[in-house]
Amino acid sequence: MSISNEIFFAGITEINQKLTKKEFSAVELARAFCDRLESIGPRYNALALSLRKDVLRDAKEVDGDIKRDRLRGPLQGVPFGAKDLLAYAKHPTTWGAKPYEDQVFDYTASVLKHIGKRGGLLTGKLAMVELAGGPSYRYASASLTGPGLNPWDNTRWSGGSSSGSAIAVAAGLVTYALGSETSGSILTPSAFCGVTGLRPTYGLVSRHGAMALSWTLDKIGPICRSAEDCGLVLEAIAGAEYGDASSAKKSFYYTPQFARDLKDVRVGYAPVDFSEGVDPAARADYAKALETIKSLGVQVTEATLPEFPYGAVIGTIISAEGSAIFEPLVKSGKVDQLADQRQIAGLKAGLEIPANEYLKAMRIRALIQEAFHDLLSTVDVLIAPTRFDPAPKLTQPLDRRATERPTPATPGLTTLIPAGNLAGLPALSIPCGFANGMPMGLQLVGSPFSENMLLAIGKTFQDRTDWHKRRPPIAA
Amino acid sequence: MSKFTRRELAAALSTSAVLLARPQAAPPPALPANPEEELKAAQAQLRDNAAQLDKFPLPMDAEPATMFKP
Repeated sequence: MSISNEIFFAGITEINQKLTKKEFSAVELARAFCDRLESIGPRYNALALSLRKDVLRDAKEVDGDIKRDRLRGPLQGVPFGAKDLLAYAKHPTTWGAKPYEDQVFDYTASVLKHIGKRGGLLTGKLAMVELAGGPSYRYASASLTGPGLNPWDNTRWSGGSSSGSAIAVAAGLVTYALGSETSGSILTPSAFCGVTGLRPTYGLVSRHGAMALSWTLDKIGPICRSAEDCGLVLEAIAGAEYGDASSAKKSFYYTPQFARDLKDVRVGYAPVDFSEGVDPAARADYAKALETIKSLGVQVTEATLPEFPYGAVIGTIISAEGSAIFEPLVKSGKVDQLADQRQIAGLKAGLEIPANEYLKAMRIRALIQEAFHDLLSTVDVLIAPTRFDPAPKLTQPLDRRATERPTPATPGLTTLIPAGNLAGLPALSIPCGFANGMPMGLQLVGSPFSENMLLAIGKTFQDRTDWHKRRPPIAA
Repeated sequence: MSKFTRRELAAALSTSAVLLARPQAAPPPALPANPEEELKAAQAQLRDNAAQLDKFPLPMDAEPATMFKP
């Protein structure tokens, strides 16, 4: 049976229903997705490793299960991809970095095992910024597979560090993907590529089998076509994990049917973010997005972030932890094999951070967490543009501001990405418009473990808009 | 004993301290041209981070973040 082109852009539930109705088999579906991932993925530098042989074997088992009515939920038979920082036994896991190009683990990351138990089909490992970008990098080319090319305009960057994950979802190469975030690595590529990304609460999802960049900041989460799909994937990957010291030992059940009445939800925002703070070409769409949020019936109020040196705090923590983690790489000299000179220098310099500076950053971080606890007792959700400018050109130095636009007198919520990561808060990025043809995202941040509320707002927003259904111009 | 909780103290002090510490807008320096300059630039960035942290007043009982409250 032939697979329609539409299926590459379908959501999880729709694909699973077609499988259980036997409109096509899991083997046919997996083969079609592998063909597409292998042919289109390299064009955008999105593919690290195709797992065709393994996934066809797994798909055959899924077909057998469906035939016997052994149904395992909505992820069963649905193809997905995983950022190449997640171990998959007996296959290369490169972490996107030349020094690790031959690295093979004999175990599989817990999140992949969780999805595997539900019949999910891992079609490939997806490209990423080398070492998840830690502690910092200058160019989009900081990757073993080259710069992540944006499916909306391949002269622009996809965002990182979960570059391949966002590209693959946007281009219909997988139905969903797993990414990771230390400070913006799920939200940024999701916004730049026009897909929906969820950064879970710190500790909700196991990191067992994932590369570490910062023990106190790393999170694994889904990048999908919709908020609803993010909820379905999060339910599969969340949960207690004794192989991960950071585990919050909490489960997550996606329960849209029990979503809080949106009339009771207080949404905080800074008007400046939606006017002079954001790219002028996107302002009309952001104004509409704000109106749509208001039309949901939520209580909207103005909010400001507590004043803290977020950049210096998170920079110090990522540098200190990242350099400690990769100290053997630095001391072996193999660090010089990385693609990005700024990243090499940053990893070397991070080894010189005194203990008192790291501790100072972590002490300020404790106050940040308390301040957000207070702020999120006055509002339930903070919203802001995920990124205030669209995806930059590939040659743009990422440590230089790409725009000549003057910085607004008040900062609004521009530091919400580092602030939310420091406080361990969940965040959802949903597509909400375009700036000169490039997608823009809206970021929703809530209290720890408030994912169901964020997803409910995201889903209702997406029920009323079609930004998340827009497709980039991909030639077959 | 202080009459303020550390949260109140931090809130009171943070705004003024951080606003004062905010660097003035200046054109970015030229991109480093070689690995030695890159290393110096990375070290300078860390020193700048440390200087910003130093300007933030911390009460003695502000302990490092080690866990996350739901």
